[in-house]
Amino acid sequence: MNFICNFPFFSILLSLFSGTICSVLPAKAAKVVNRVVIIAVGLMSAVLLLYLLATGESFIYWMGHFPAPWGNEIRAGVLEAGMALFFCIIMYLSMAGGAHKLPGEVVESKHNLYYILVNLLLSSLLALVYTNDMFTAYVFVEINTISACGLIMIRQVGRTIEAAVRYMIMSLLGSGLLLFGLCIMYDLTGHLLMSNIKESVGLIMASGEYQIPLIVSVALMCIGLCIKSALFPFHAWLPDAYGYSTVSSAAILSSLVSKGYIFLLIKIIYRVIGFDIFNSTRIIDVLFVFGLMGMIFGSLSAIRENDIRRMIAFSSVAQIGYIYMGFGMGTQAGMVASIFHILSHAATKSLLFIAAIGLTDVSGGSRKFIDLTGAAYRNKWAGAAFTVGSLSMVGIPLFSGFISKLLFAQAAVQVEGKMLASLIVLGISTVLNAVYFMKTVIRIYAYAPDAPYKGITFRDMKAYAVVLVCFILLNVILGVSSQPVVDMIGQGLAMFA
Amino acid sequence: MYLILSSILFPILAGLFLLVRHRTPLSGETPTDRKSLIALTGCSLIITAIFVIAALFAENGFTLFYLTPSLPIYFRVDSVGRIFSLLAVIVIPCAGFFSFAYMKHEEHESRYYGFYLLVFGVLNALCFAGNLITFYLFFELLTLSSMPLVLHNGSKEAVMAGLKYLFYSLCGAYAALFGIYFLYRNCDSLTFTMDGALRASAIAEHGGFLLVVAFVMLLGFGVKAGMFPMHAWLPTAHPVAPAPASAVLSAVIVKAGVLATIRVLGMFGTDFLKGTWVQTAWLCLTLITVFMGSLLAYREPVLKKRLAYSTVSQLSYILFGLAVMNETSFTGALLHVLAHGFIKAALFLCAGAIIYKTGKTRVEEMRGIGKEMPVTMWCFTVASLGLIGIPPTGGFLSKWFLALGSLKSGIPVFGVLGPVILLVSALLTAGYLLPLTIHGFFPGADYDYNRLQKKEPCKLMRVPILMLTALSVLAGIFPFAIFLAYFAVTGR
Repeated sequence: MNFICNFPFFSILLSLFSGTICSVLPAKAAKVVNRVVIIAVGLMSAVLLLYLLATGESFIYWMGHFPAPWGNEIRAGVLEAGMALFFCIIMYLSMAGGAHKLPGEVVESKHNLYYILVNLLLSSLLALVYTNDMFTAYVFVEINTISACGLIMIRQVGRTIEAAVRYMIMSLLGSGLLLFGLCIMYDLTGHLLMSNIKESVGLIMASGEYQIPLIVSVALMCIGLCIKSALFPFHAWLPDAYGYSTVSSAAILSSLVSKGYIFLLIKIIYRVIGFDIFNSTRIIDVLFVFGLMGMIFGSLSAIRENDIRRMIAFSSVAQIGYIYMGFGMGTQAGMVASIFHILSHAATKSLLFIAAIGLTDVSGGSRKFIDLTGAAYRNKWAGAAFTVGSLSMVGIPLFSGFISKLLFAQAAVQVEGKMLASLIVLGISTVLNAVYFMKTVIRIYAYAPDAPYKGITFRDMKAYAVVLVCFILLNVILGVSSQPVVDMIGQGLAMFA
Repeated sequence: MYLILSSILFPILAGLFLLVRHRTPLSGETPTDRKSLIALTGCSLIITAIFVIAALFAENGFTLFYLTPSLPIYFRVDSVGRIFSLLAVIVIPCAGFFSFAYMKHEEHESRYYGFYLLVFGVLNALCFAGNLITFYLFFELLTLSSMPLVLHNGSKEAVMAGLKYLFYSLCGAYAALFGIYFLYRNCDSLTFTMDGALRASAIAEHGGFLLVVAFVMLLGFGVKAGMFPMHAWLPTAHPVAPAPASAVLSAVIVKAGVLATIRVLGMFGTDFLKGTWVQTAWLCLTLITVFMGSLLAYREPVLKKRLAYSTVSQLSYILFGLAVMNETSFTGALLHVLAHGFIKAALFLCAGAIIYKTGKTRVEEMRGIGKEMPVTMWCFTVASLGLIGIPPTGGFLSKWFLALGSLKSGIPVFGVLGPVILLVSALLTAGYLLPLTIHGFFPGADYDYNRLQKKEPCKLMRVPILMLTALSVLAGIFPFAIFLAYFAVTGR
């Protein structure tokens, strides 16, 4: 076994233990440790990705020296490594982009606690991405929930406590349902390792016995993860949680945490149940319908919103809807589109959150649209970045959002029964997105000569501006040369089977 | 290749430069600032125009890069594109020079010129786009870059008009994109052709559905050209822009919708659409628009709004010619693209000159205006005659071809009804444009001649108006344009 094969294990443990170490370090050192760990994990994932692309095969890594049905396993393929790398990039940029706000948002004595939570979150995300064991997945889902809750609550002002409690209740409900599903699955198959469960599921489907309990368990797991990733009717926790937490937390929560759960769901679909069996159930129709509803209702709520952060948060509901619509199509192309949208949405949404904070900072800290008038002139970099993010969300060519829309539409054209519904809703949702994002862009570029706020120049915010430029580049790269990424997703899905 | 690329990139970069040049774009321009700004813009306009004219002779297409392996960003100069880019390269610099004088009384000039240049570059790209996806890309960018021109003065009314423009255009563009997905699946490539790119197997298999797709695409791109059910944005958005910008919007930018329609027709092929319900429905819509636009213009008291309604009506002349789908009517349509472009730009610039000099916007206030601004009003009159279609102006030739093509087509009912409605609408056109001339030059017995002042605008305004008026007449006398149009039809 090659040394590189240890990297997934290293990265999980590294981020887990660095969390522990951070608790005894002073805040400054904790920050450095946090950054270094994210970069190290990112580098390891990049090397791992190159290695996997070169060998063209996924591998399974034993944790401890027990063979299959008993031991705990990690599995790494192109998709996992790519996702880990992408998560690290977004996390690093989100942390760097919100760093200058942290002293104002979190009391000094809790800074190292903040970095502990971020490190724990990273480790749980990595574990969700890499694990090959359902129970490990469950454990890290819980760790993820706890650290996400902490990240919301650590800014102890306004409605964050309420938001965190809401998030906690909904999230625990979600993980409870996941646990139920898991128990039933264990009962039916007698295994916890993904590959072994899949074999047994195949046998159960072939024998024709216990099919209904099996589908119930799949449905429970799906609903659990849908709640946790804020699919439409379960999104009530989201606007407060994203809207009032610290800016880095909001960016990380919206672009990574919900995506981690979605990635776990993809893994369950492919590695536990089997893509064809999953598509033969009615669950995909349910996901499809709720995805479509989310796309419309999320945008409608965003239009009504008068607070820029909450507006961006509601837009996440719509974007999550896109992803589930892709699942609901039940084809490989739909899945590729969904995974691409995970990346594109993560890149865009964190950009929007980070840019929005730049705009609100030069508007006296107010997040109401009326105060944001002309904010883009006061902070040009944030204004430009917000515009890029908005254009990408609306789906203007050359930005990443257009490619994901293109992929969704191409996937939809291949599915006879769902084609018209998805294309029409895609259209409506595009226009609705345009309504609130372009409204905001026009607002921030409107002329406000008598605004009492002072502008900010490049010299005052070098690090912040660099982060914004990185985000913009990431968006444009995903939009202009999307093909390598799409190929990689296809290759990774092929490895899943 | 470099000529095409520089004709696109140079104005875009120049525009972006103007947009970011000032450290504080909110402070007003000082006179020296203004001079350098005008010099920069003027040079950029002239250089771009030279690039474009040189690019018109380019032969080979080239691929810039690949969006996905099957979707190249591809540029090529073809005959149809040449006609539209000829229109753009004449009207935009003319209106640009006009705005140097006109924009004196507006604020944020650098923003205006920045987006003006952006629009120029994007329009060039649109004319030179070689396939549907490249076209779509710049179609969206055109909407985005021209929106700031609409909401330029920042009043509540202008912003609402800008948003309305944006949403109508985005809806239309999405309807078109919807069609592109299907074309992508049923064509071998999305490169433009004039004789149909659909696979024969696709037509045989689901021809009925493809007709629906064609109709949706025509409707979608028709939004930009102000076709009937989705025309409401045009009379709202065009008049609120500064006059030279309205000239460009009305004369050139809406033509992007026409160009798009021609491209769509070419992709589906006239053989596929001829005689189907799509043609009938489309004819019906265009004729309704022609009539309705004229009627609304006739009732409209504000001059710029009246001209905008007239654009709605005149553009549907062009679309009608396309919908008839034979070579004669096609020639008429392309001729009308040029003729209407020159005429409408001239009319809007005249209106701009009147507003700039007198501040009058409503038609009934303009009594005796011909005595005050004779040159402007003479140009207005000549251009009006062109729009009505009186020989020897360009409007006559194009309408002649349109009517001839329609009569020759042998389409039941519409083949005859078309020319009738065109004639009625021409009458209405006379009804809404000539009163200005009549009351302008013959204010009536009770007019107080002692109060009369000479208000002729400065040269910078007069010369573009005179040039455009002259062109609108010349297009009729020296129908060099016909040859161009014929080449376009025969695909040479």
